[in-house]
Amino acid sequence: MTDLIVVGAGLTGLFAAWQAARRGAQCMLVTAGRGGLELSSGCLGIASSGPPLRQVAKAPLPHPYALVGLDALRRAVDDLLELLEASNLPYAGGLESNLELPTAAGGTACAAYAPRSLARFLDAGAGPVTLAGFTGFRDFDSVLASNRLSARLQRPVAAADLPLPGSLPLRDLYSTDLARRFEDPDWRAQACAAWRPILIGVRHLGLPAVLGFRQHASVIAAIEELLELTVFEIPTLPPCLPGLRLESVLREACLAGGVDLIEGATAIGRVDGRNAVTRAAGIVAQTAGGPQVIDAGAVLLATGDLLHGGLVARQSGRLQESVFDLPVVHSSNRSTWTAPHFSDPQPYATFGLRVDARMRPLGADGAPLMQNLFAAGGILAGARRTEEGSRQGIGLATAWRAVESALP
Amino acid sequence: MTTSTPTLSADLCLKCNICTAACPVAAVTELFPGPKAVGPQAQRFRHPRLPSPDLSVSWCSGCGTCTRVCPHGVAIAEINIQAKARLAEEHAPPLRDHVISRPEWLGFAGSLAAPIANPLLRLGAARWALEKTLGIDRHAPMPPFARRTLRSRRRQRVVKAVPADPTNVVAYYHGCSTNYYEPDLGDKAIAVLERLGCRVVLPPQRCCGLPMQSNGFFDAARRQAATNIRLLVPYARAGIPIVGTSTSCTLALKHDYRVILGVEGEEAEIVARGTFDIFEFIAGRLEGALDAFDFAPVEATALYHPPCQLKSHFMGTPALRVLRRIPGLSITLSQSECCGIAGTYGLKHEKFAVAQAVGAGLFRQTAQLDPEFVLSDSETCRWWLEQHTRHKVIHPIELLARSMRLA
Repeated sequence: MTDLIVVGAGLTGLFAAWQAARRGAQCMLVTAGRGGLELSSGCLGIASSGPPLRQVAKAPLPHPYALVGLDALRRAVDDLLELLEASNLPYAGGLESNLELPTAAGGTACAAYAPRSLARFLDAGAGPVTLAGFTGFRDFDSVLASNRLSARLQRPVAAADLPLPGSLPLRDLYSTDLARRFEDPDWRAQACAAWRPILIGVRHLGLPAVLGFRQHASVIAAIEELLELTVFEIPTLPPCLPGLRLESVLREACLAGGVDLIEGATAIGRVDGRNAVTRAAGIVAQTAGGPQVIDAGAVLLATGDLLHGGLVARQSGRLQESVFDLPVVHSSNRSTWTAPHFSDPQPYATFGLRVDARMRPLGADGAPLMQNLFAAGGILAGARRTEEGSRQGIGLATAWRAVESALP
Repeated sequence: MTTSTPTLSADLCLKCNICTAACPVAAVTELFPGPKAVGPQAQRFRHPRLPSPDLSVSWCSGCGTCTRVCPHGVAIAEINIQAKARLAEEHAPPLRDHVISRPEWLGFAGSLAAPIANPLLRLGAARWALEKTLGIDRHAPMPPFARRTLRSRRRQRVVKAVPADPTNVVAYYHGCSTNYYEPDLGDKAIAVLERLGCRVVLPPQRCCGLPMQSNGFFDAARRQAATNIRLLVPYARAGIPIVGTSTSCTLALKHDYRVILGVEGEEAEIVARGTFDIFEFIAGRLEGALDAFDFAPVEATALYHPPCQLKSHFMGTPALRVLRRIPGLSITLSQSECCGIAGTYGLKHEKFAVAQAVGAGLFRQTAQLDPEFVLSDSETCRWWLEQHTRHKVIHPIELLARSMRLA
């Protein structure tokens, strides 16, 4: 018998399943595909609009941070950082202030925590940096990035173009192709030998984040030694290696912990209404052969928001929770869902489930709908994740609290 | 679903590249542009009445990883298998593809001629000749034919019709490989099921047709599908589960007939829903019998490689849930999406090096771990891994049989 079914394999779902396994539970992670974590920069935004700790502490109810409290956030972050350190994917940062790091378009983005390879941009202090792209790699334009970054930070940022050894492929060159090449010591040495004369005088070099996948840490160390400078990475368009590295560490930690991973299946919730207390009985998974009933002691929804499949908009204007059809906090007038401009704060972003302090979805009467049904991450109402820069922090803290509640 | 559904799903593609990042073939050869590029992206250039615009989809091994990891419901692998079938219509495939598509003929002839065929296939000169004439790589695995098929060994369990009392009856879909090459595996699967309280029968059945489908012979594959559905639907209607040990055969019955070959109708649906992988069946339906069973310890390490065709069932890895019950057994999971062979892909001379490169990580992992057992549920994966790792590779049911003192 499965103790806990987690639905969804983004940061929230993967982290929750790993936590459940660590607590000794038999956990099943059901997901329609690999989660969007692979598309992300790998950074962990807790509250990017100001000092994270202060922002989190002052979030008013019904913001998820106010429901879970600071303690859940701290413990979740500590657990994750420990796993990442042990998995050779060290992170930098803290809850007191944000790291401001360059983007591939030459802007900057803030997050409380970032992979150390990204955060090493800050080692340059106010000194000059050089951003370099690779000839034939279209997903990073060093001239665009350096010109805009220089204007934004009001300091010199140089651009360089580095030739790649060997022939270019007959097809698009993906970041994953380059990451694999960088893991080949001979290729790496050949590349660095060709780049040394181009990089004379450069002390801090920014490269697109393609410096290895599983052997990432040793790839960076080797390049720094060969080029005699410090290297930082800048996240690319998808597939984005820092996101991929984070995803694979979490997924492999789940598998090593005995989590049953079901990839490819969508889930429909099952309710046990035989007793006075309504309970979640498990799910029906849509497998290749047809629907399959799976029983569980508890279910945790980590299915994400309207853009991620947790909420589905019907033609009628009704917003539906995709697994159990739970009531969703939203406006019934569809024309008010979006703001006039793309970059404005979007009203639909706050739609979601209302939950109690144990992360149980609530009905209209304010009481938990089911004793053993939980929700975490993007599906929760009450936060403006994009403006707040709080998506990963909310996901981790609410997942931590939900698992603690589901597996007392 | 109908045959047009996979191609329609191309419109759902967000171009997120999660499939490209996961594709085991694109990772090792730049000849393959990747699942997104040849699938949803190239689909808009394909027209039912115009020639295929691009041949690069032929490098797709059909492992199905892309569809499984797609977060947005695009049937990428299905689109690509259908596009490959179009290529086979437009460019007559080599004789080799016809030969390797018909394991049933090969098995039938091979088991009759086993005393001659087996030593011959071990001869380097004969394999060289096969490579030169047919294009079957001389290093590709070709297992020996069994002298007696499973059906002839288990004649008393062969049935022609649904048993009058269907209680606890299981219909074993053994497929070609177990019947002609690995009848011992069939014996053990039967023994395990019977020890757990089932009555096993061998219903009439033909080759599932998957090798034909993979090589683009859709018409021939559809004939196999129609025959199997006709033969098996009475069992499924009687509530008798159809259980298989070959993950790709069971996937054909469950999914490929309807979604890739476009077989429509209620009977295909009934067979699909009534078909189970053996561990899916044991973990899901025989939990009580498992709980009551006293498994003997197997003090050993095992490396488990779940085949891509198993993962495409979208039911996870039920063998792991059952094998965890064996005391003393330490299981390490394969870190590779695919072992490389992908059915008949790695047999082909022109694809052999790519298939080897796909499997290289798994070969390395096996060498480093040096486990007592290497486990995989699919026959072609087992033969391929055995050849490349020099380790004995068994079906997980064989290890379960051992822990149940049946082997």
